[in-house]
Amino acid sequence: MNEPVLGGMAQTALDRHEPLLRVGNTNCGGCGFSSLMQMMRHAVADQPVHLVIPACCAAVSAGVFPQSTYGAPTLLTTFASAAAAASGIASVARMNGEDTRVVCLAGDGGTYDIGFATLSAAADRNEDVLYICYDNEIYGNTGGQRSSATPAGALTTNLSRGKPEQKKDILAIMAAHRIPYAASISLAHAEDAVRKLRRALDLQGFRFLHVLSPCPTGWKSEPALGMELVRLAVRSGLFPVLEVFDGKRYVVNIEPDFSDEALDMYLSLQLRFQKSGITAAGLRPDIDRHWQNLRALSGRIVPARRSA
Amino acid sequence: MSLKLLSANHGAALAATLAARANRAGRGFCSGVYPITPSTECMEYLCLQEIEKGRVVKVESEHSAMAVCIGAASAGARTFTTTSSNGLAYMAENCIAAALLRLPVVMAVANRTLGPPWNIWADHGDSLLLRDQGLIQFYCADNQELFDTVLCAFRLAEDQAVMMPVMVCMEGFILSHTTAQIDVPEQAQVDEFLPLTAIPHRLGDTPHALGQVELPHQVEVHRHQHLAAMNGAVDVYAGIRDEFERVFDRRLPDAVVAYRAEDAETLIVSMGTIGATAERVVDRLREQGQKVGSLRVRLFRPLPMEAIRAWFAGKQRIAVVDRDVSLGFGGVLWGEVNALADPGTVVQSYLAGLGGGDVRPEHIENMLSDLLPRTSAGLPAMMEAA
Amino acid sequence: MKNDTSLEPVPTSLADLSLPLEVRVHGRGGQGGVTCAKLIASLYTRMGFHVQTFGDYGSERSGAPIQAFTRVDRQTIANRNKVYRPDHLIVLDEALMGPQVLSGTAPGALLLLNTRSPLDAYGGQYANYRLGVVDATAIAREHGIGSSSVVIINTTILGAYARLLGVSLGALEAAFASLGLGGDLAAAEHAYEQVQIRTCDPADAHAVAPATAWQPDSAPVTPLTEHRADSPATLKTGSWSTQAPRYRNHAAPCNLACPAGNDVRGFVQALQDDGADAAAKVLLRTQPLPSVCGRVCPAPCMQACNRDAFDGAVNIRSLERWVADHSTQALGKQAVARPRRFAVVGGGPAGLSAAYQLVLHGHAVTIFEAGPALGGVLRNGIPAYRLPPEALQRDLQRILDLGVETRFNVRIGHTDLLRMQEEYDALIVCAGLGPALRLEAEGTGLAGLEQGLDFLDRAKLGKVELRGRVVVVGGGNTAIDCARTALRCGASSVKLVYRRGREDMPAIAEEIDSAEFEGVRLVLNRQPVAFSGNGTVSALVLAEVEPGAPDESGRRRPMVTQRTSNLECDTVFLALGQSAGMEWLPGTWQVRDSRAWEGSQALDVWFAGDCATGEGTVTHAIGSGRRIALAVLGRLDNAPETQPDAGSAVAPGQIRFSHFDVVPPHRDKELPPSVRRDSFEECNHGLAGPEEAGRCFSCGQCTHCDTCLIYCPEGVITRSESGYRIDTSYCKGCGMCVAECPRSAMEMHEKTKLEVRQCL
Repeated sequence: MNEPVLGGMAQTALDRHEPLLRVGNTNCGGCGFSSLMQMMRHAVADQPVHLVIPACCAAVSAGVFPQSTYGAPTLLTTFASAAAAASGIASVARMNGEDTRVVCLAGDGGTYDIGFATLSAAADRNEDVLYICYDNEIYGNTGGQRSSATPAGALTTNLSRGKPEQKKDILAIMAAHRIPYAASISLAHAEDAVRKLRRALDLQGFRFLHVLSPCPTGWKSEPALGMELVRLAVRSGLFPVLEVFDGKRYVVNIEPDFSDEALDMYLSLQLRFQKSGITAAGLRPDIDRHWQNLRALSGRIVPARRSA
Repeated sequence: MSLKLLSANHGAALAATLAARANRAGRGFCSGVYPITPSTECMEYLCLQEIEKGRVVKVESEHSAMAVCIGAASAGARTFTTTSSNGLAYMAENCIAAALLRLPVVMAVANRTLGPPWNIWADHGDSLLLRDQGLIQFYCADNQELFDTVLCAFRLAEDQAVMMPVMVCMEGFILSHTTAQIDVPEQAQVDEFLPLTAIPHRLGDTPHALGQVELPHQVEVHRHQHLAAMNGAVDVYAGIRDEFERVFDRRLPDAVVAYRAEDAETLIVSMGTIGATAERVVDRLREQGQKVGSLRVRLFRPLPMEAIRAWFAGKQRIAVVDRDVSLGFGGVLWGEVNALADPGTVVQSYLAGLGGGDVRPEHIENMLSDLLPRTSAGLPAMMEAA
Repeated sequence: MKNDTSLEPVPTSLADLSLPLEVRVHGRGGQGGVTCAKLIASLYTRMGFHVQTFGDYGSERSGAPIQAFTRVDRQTIANRNKVYRPDHLIVLDEALMGPQVLSGTAPGALLLLNTRSPLDAYGGQYANYRLGVVDATAIAREHGIGSSSVVIINTTILGAYARLLGVSLGALEAAFASLGLGGDLAAAEHAYEQVQIRTCDPADAHAVAPATAWQPDSAPVTPLTEHRADSPATLKTGSWSTQAPRYRNHAAPCNLACPAGNDVRGFVQALQDDGADAAAKVLLRTQPLPSVCGRVCPAPCMQACNRDAFDGAVNIRSLERWVADHSTQALGKQAVARPRRFAVVGGGPAGLSAAYQLVLHGHAVTIFEAGPALGGVLRNGIPAYRLPPEALQRDLQRILDLGVETRFNVRIGHTDLLRMQEEYDALIVCAGLGPALRLEAEGTGLAGLEQGLDFLDRAKLGKVELRGRVVVVGGGNTAIDCARTALRCGASSVKLVYRRGREDMPAIAEEIDSAEFEGVRLVLNRQPVAFSGNGTVSALVLAEVEPGAPDESGRRRPMVTQRTSNLECDTVFLALGQSAGMEWLPGTWQVRDSRAWEGSQALDVWFAGDCATGEGTVTHAIGSGRRIALAVLGRLDNAPETQPDAGSAVAPGQIRFSHFDVVPPHRDKELPPSVRRDSFEECNHGLAGPEEAGRCFSCGQCTHCDTCLIYCPEGVITRSESGYRIDTSYCKGCGMCVAECPRSAMEMHEKTKLEVRQCL
């Protein structure tokens, strides 16, 4: 009644015995991808799972041969190949009657940019693959350069001022592939996140999950505040949390309060926005427009509510 | 056994199909394919075959085609793909990955000039891109040889001591689009010839990553092991030839195909269909009393150095004909075999048939005319054949 | 060896610099180790040397150990290898220190450590190195370089290094200016001054062989094709961080606010987890009168409740009532080695509380009460509609059941006190307040004018009938009680006159609400200056009052004006408070610090409750009684006085509201006003159930809610018997668990040396 029921989610008999991401990995402290992997562990439970990871931070964090920090069979692929390699693994698993869940874990670089054609094609073929994009809005593995997921106003190591272009709407693009399931996930809403991870794991065909993944190193923010930043992004409406079924049915999972206070807080806690002069007021019109669109798609044509 | 009239492209695809079906009791077959001239017909043929426990994934690029093969092989399946030219260049990153991950992917490559400027005709320059990356390379001269080599490639690639990709190359159009009889074995024979695919390091149930970070020392040792496996493949291939003969009752050509070379003073060294032309030239010149022979390098990686050195022993002159050029150097094959000749042997590089030019006997005779008066090798000589 | 803390340049001068010089910096990713090596190179460049600097890049992430190198020479440097035999070794984080860091470092080399430990702490350690130690982290943090979790110390330590080199402060300043690091100069200068240096005896230097040099890795490497299962990683990422989280209870604001000293959070959580009996066990440790306080306490705990800023304070008072009304739990008397005898004067809340604590601790107690029964103001001052006699009786019985003796109708005078002093180990006087205060105004002798307390006492004992218009003067709880009682006794109208505004009324806010709800009208900012009537009062003369300057309590001082008006009435009750009334004590006694003194001689006579503090509420009296009882016990046993430091309370800003759903408070069931004003039936029926306990945030105390478990990115938190365990060998110190803890029951701390060692 008082707080969301987290108890029973972690370290229960249902939980996967072996962590998906083991200790001793080299991810930065407070890495959103690490958090995602902990939640994945709860969602995967006892299902057999194969991970497919292209060149990205998650590939580096796999550890050094012959050790591995992934507690599951894992294929590290070239940068642009995850969705195609996963197609191969899933195909072989199915033809051998194995129910192995094949999960791609790719960053925004591998998803939005270099791996995009591969991703789009695998979605088009409706491969039986769960593709998860952990989006830290930056080329983190190379030290923090602009990607097409970098939000407007953010500074990167290869931009002399805040990025003028808006972030690509990857969820809409993937939904437009009319795949069975596309959803965005807020790691700060563990219950909703684990529920959707479970649903995505259980469905057949191509599933796409978009995870806003806090990156203290790239965002120039406190490692401890990663979840709070995600929460603020959700609250302010900047990061809509929703599910799209078959490219048609849109369901908003978490209702933002659209507060400028949350948005201002979000911006002020990250040094990457500090030097660009971007403000909540500057971002608000685009957020409002996006939400008007989402309202229409979700069949709830209610204008974005603004709190005082 | 039955004789079928097939293009080399279709022959390669049929061989792959038979190999695919042969793994039905194993973990099956999976292929990623993407069309490019002149390998398109191979890919099309494969796509239309019924393969029990098999899937051909029609992907969006050559890069992904190989990625599908990597994924499928990492899951333990038999894998095959085909491409050409820029497609191979685009696929190259994943070809290298497949090699370094030691995954036994078999590829049929229709050799074609890289561009732009665009040109769709034969040139070995595309497959030679991958010379140093840990893939075995065969170069074939006719349809039957190509068919047999593709079958053999599965056995070689999947051999526990080899375990790496094998490329079977054919010159675009010249071979890929030439139709001829191919003696096609029964499925049962192929089943007998090819053991079920067993990739020892494939992903299974236990935590195991393929391709995680390696530190310098580990790379050193793994490269050394790869090199040893590659060199060992020469002997493994010799063994497979015997096995092939036992099952199919015909002999696969050797790693290097020597033709009237024993007593030759002059040797013509080449790869692919130029070798067939060279053999015709040898016959003609032998009639004229010239002591000429031909050596066709079929297995280019690993390079059968001992065999080549043995054939080179005592030769006065060697003409190395390359349908490729390493710009800034010369013929690639020439560069490779140069050091294998006796001191004092004149080893001259000839570049012929680049961009798909039709290398006719006269061209080779011209080379020999050029070579005979030489007392030492000169710069690589371009023999315009078109 | 000698310590050198003077500011003179260090004896080793740059002229003595043995070239080529090799510097190795050990740090962590994100700490600026590579930049540190670059800065060192820049420093030498300024001196005209050739330099070369590079990092040993790996795939490591923020926090992972890294190395960086700088070479210095008079000529172009051709060496392209890493530094295996450093002349200068700079360690940016002492937690990194281990054999690998010292690897290849020859005796006599310079070793500069960033450490919290002073030089003395090293004793003979690193004796064969020239050692410099500086707390660069503290300095950089003080100068605000980096963030709170990742302090960047590369520029700071450069100051210490410059000092070790013998570079002058002026040269350092010039170097910083040329590097565009003017902003960090102050920190560097600070480090320049703070670094402690120990020279190294050349004899020592040669006595020891160089540390082991780097060895090539010759471990066997399994072929890829033979490798089928991976072992877990052995990298102990706990070494990446100097900080680690831990569970720590912090004070709850309700607990700190409770005048009785109740463990409010504890009983509410016990109620939620294990029910009323468990809650009673917690509550009864400090609270002898839960049935009473669960009804009449002004509940400062609820004003302090952090949930107030979210969706309304937890209804703690009514939860206490729920526990009292739904549990028959009682605590047992403890066994004590040496039972003592105590007398308590006064059977009101303070006396009851003192007696309760003493008897719980196993001692014998006798209460001397001037009235005919226990309870004091609870018995005769609080109307039955607020505190039914049965409720009081339940609490009293629980105390009596512990074996407290009582003497009723005994009014103690000063001779009694002197005698009792001899008879008992100690006396605790809890006599409450003296007589009611009177109003100095014309006409106070008129009939129809009565002290409110007397009226309440009469009303409690039997039926009192009133008619006509009643005016109550005063703004405290007694005034409100009089007003609401008057309604129930038949008054046609009741007005309450108070000289200040509503917000200044000392009465419990909910009580004022109830009074108004029942029909009492407030006449505010008015002061009675006269009463008129013909033998019987028929009107008050009210002067308007203006708020003046604030007094020390912050309330505006009332300024009575000349503007007056008449308020007609039939009865007036005065509720203006009570005097201290301690004139009955022996004349030779003085009262200081809640204790009686005869000159400089402290007597075993103590004072608690209103007579000692005048704080005026039941809860305060209970707290005072308990504290004095415990103080007396401690003093008699010569136990050292312990003042447990509760720490500061968890503030609303430290609660993660986002982890909670909005759930409005559960309200008490109240009788409708039409029914209430006709009866002395208790008008508040309390809560319908104990669910309200579930609203408690449990500020500052872990409830095992699993939030830390769920949000730990590393998965290094596991359940343990006592709650959770953190594997600090792998914890990277990101602080996510602490930041996400909904209730501030965790904190980050600097790792102990033991914890650091466990990670190496």
